[in-house]
Amino acid sequence: MITVEHVSKSYGDTVALRDLSFEVSAGVITGFLGPNGSGKSTTMRIIMGLDEPQRGRATIDGHSYRDLSSPLHAVGALLDAKAIHPGRTARNHLRALATSNDISQRRVEDVLEFVGLAGVADRRAGEFSLGMSQRLGIASCLLGDPGVLLFDEPINGLDPEGIRWIREVFRTLASEGRTILVSSHLMSEMALTADHVIVIGKGSFITQGTVDELTTTRANAVLVRSAENERLAGALRAEDATVTPQPGGALLVEGLDAGAIGRVALRDSVALVELTPQRASLEDVFMELTAGATEYASTQRGIDA
Amino acid sequence: MPSPSIVSTIRSEWIKFRSVRSTPIGYVVTAVLTIGLGILITVAIRSHWHTMDPLARIAFDPVATSLAGVLFAQFAIGVIGILYFSNEYATGSIRPTLAATPRRSRVVVAKVVVLTGATLVVAEIVAIVTFLIGQRIYAGVVPTASLGTPAVLRSVLLGGLYLTLLALLGLGLGLLIRHQSAAISVYTTLLLILPIIVIFLPSSWQTTISRYEPSSLGRAMMSVAPPDQMFGAWTAALVLTLYVVGVLGAATMLLEKRDA
Repeated sequence: MITVEHVSKSYGDTVALRDLSFEVSAGVITGFLGPNGSGKSTTMRIIMGLDEPQRGRATIDGHSYRDLSSPLHAVGALLDAKAIHPGRTARNHLRALATSNDISQRRVEDVLEFVGLAGVADRRAGEFSLGMSQRLGIASCLLGDPGVLLFDEPINGLDPEGIRWIREVFRTLASEGRTILVSSHLMSEMALTADHVIVIGKGSFITQGTVDELTTTRANAVLVRSAENERLAGALRAEDATVTPQPGGALLVEGLDAGAIGRVALRDSVALVELTPQRASLEDVFMELTAGATEYASTQRGIDA
Repeated sequence: MPSPSIVSTIRSEWIKFRSVRSTPIGYVVTAVLTIGLGILITVAIRSHWHTMDPLARIAFDPVATSLAGVLFAQFAIGVIGILYFSNEYATGSIRPTLAATPRRSRVVVAKVVVLTGATLVVAEIVAIVTFLIGQRIYAGVVPTASLGTPAVLRSVLLGGLYLTLLALLGLGLGLLIRHQSAAISVYTTLLLILPIIVIFLPSSWQTTISRYEPSSLGRAMMSVAPPDQMFGAWTAALVLTLYVVGVLGAATMLLEKRDA
């Protein structure tokens, strides 16, 4: 389990994290979401003991990272797939990491095999595509067979086949009871990959929950079809709902849930043809939640405004 | 899970050291500069020996002159040390390194052990070979020295040690400054530009300061009988070692404190 408690971090005048707290539990894939510049990478560096927060602390199963005696056996992290000396071969890169934590050379060959790089292991890392580098990064995470895994934007630069592969890897690792934190700024990807989602913006915690919870609790519109749309619309507006006629003879009702709309229809004896709560996409939820928390938001107005 | 020992960190750093091309290239350049310039200088001295000033002939040091290439090779050897640490910052691999070994001072110790071991072996061989070639060139015309003389053996071996200490100075500067080009600039300034600046100081200051310059310490270490205004060979070695310890110590303290 990863615990982040009241972490604040500034770089000079730039505030990266403000009093951020959350927990990441084992056995599920936790998505770590936020717009670019929201502090996801900073949080991961702090969890890894690479950057020191001004306030608060981050622990892994109760221990500070820098107190771990054999860290690769506890935590595997892929922060930047390109953070490898370009002149060093993939195999030597992994051998150096493995040796530092008393991990056998046999294990190096095993992880190379697992990520599909065994055939190119003696090529220099600088010749690798981003996708191959991501695979090498995953291999380095798995060297010590750790219980906690951190991946910072692992999907970036992967082709569709690579994305499907990485999703399967995450699934397998989570099913083995490991704690997995995957950051991304792509909602749609997390909807497919993560079980649980933590959302941050401008360095602050915004919300967390399962993908289902987030999309359901945020859905506040209901699609209604009835035999007498105009009479129903009037009755609903009288209950302070916002009613917007939709193409095809439906009404989009906001401000009342499906149950309340049903009761209004019953009271006024309007026969309903359809009553469908609209489920927000995770993308919509994210845009709504992080509006105002985006570091570099584009303005609504055009450039000639 | 038992904690890995420092030996594991050293073995890991050794794999990293020998698996990049800059390491063998740096050592080859060091050897070529030391031996090649040694040959040029000794050949030049041999051919001008008979026209040389008699006083200069009396003060002539066949050891230091044959090792003069070291004072050029010191730039190549320093770059090996600088790159060994600053490369980790340039490529971002410092983060995986410190994630694997969170006790950061261990990484410094391991790099110091690897760099000292490798450089000492290469530099001593290069110093001895250069010396022997130089004496062979001098033979019959210019007075020669033999490794059987303790002071001569000392000068040759301290020549190798001088290069090793400069590699370590580079390592410390690379860690302290983190940026390769900036670290190389500072290193070159210390060895090359500082002595030029000192020339413009009042002469009484000059004699006091110049003996502390790294290159002066190197010349003292390689002289059979260092001139009066310089330190003795062993004192010079000690002073240079203190520089290295100071820079590496400061750099290690900052490594522990700073964000990676």
